[in-house]
Amino acid sequence: MSQPTQGDVPIKSENDIVVVRRVVRDLVTRLSFGVTDVTRAVTGASELTRNISLYAGTGIMWWTTLDRHGAAGLELRFEGHGLGISDIELAMKPGHGTSHGLGLGLPGAKRLMDEMEIHSELGKGTTLTVRK
Amino acid sequence: MLMVTTPADPDDLMVKTRQEEVLRAMERYRPKGLVLDISGVETLDSFFARTVAETSRMVGLMGGRTVIAGMRPSVVIAATQLALTLGGILTALTVDRALDLLSAPPPRRRRA
Repeated sequence: MSQPTQGDVPIKSENDIVVVRRVVRDLVTRLSFGVTDVTRAVTGASELTRNISLYAGTGIMWWTTLDRHGAAGLELRFEGHGLGISDIELAMKPGHGTSHGLGLGLPGAKRLMDEMEIHSELGKGTTLTVRK
Repeated sequence: MLMVTTPADPDDLMVKTRQEEVLRAMERYRPKGLVLDISGVETLDSFFARTVAETSRMVGLMGGRTVIAGMRPSVVIAATQLALTLGGILTALTVDRALDLLSAPPPRRRRA
């Protein structure tokens, strides 16, 4: 039987940060990422899940495996069911954070991943897609 | 010396609980320093880094010095790209070197 190519992890509390880490670690290990890229992907996913837990409260992470010109990749889509981000540019600045985090979740996660896109609608929440 | 090891993938509650245990152990055993062995840690995120920096300051208030030992190369890379800082804590490559650092007079070197 072939392995699943997509799935999701609901994010309901900060306990789910560890669940997301485990799922992402298993996935990228299965995709034969090197140890440094495994750590980057897991750490980035951990920060983005923490963002949802801190700012949006609840959300979900969708994952899809990718075939990027013959190389295995992973796309993670983080949907936060919060109020949305009013100023994405500001949120991307290092040192910015409205909660008690370090304010480096977004720019830091972008450096750990290869690609990152943010879509936010006020009142509807934020979707953040990363690829590695 | 007080020696603390951390699990590979600690959750927030475990990190906070460990912090309280460290402070209680400081009071009970009165060690001169704390060696935090993170060689088993596979994911060091902002919460973990912040709690480690905070614990080191707390241990400092109790008169102890903290050395972090054994950060893995992959964790070093991810932590640096995430721009995590550990608030000037002493670091060592191995637990043995951390113990050497703590038995020497307070040095002015290797600040992270």
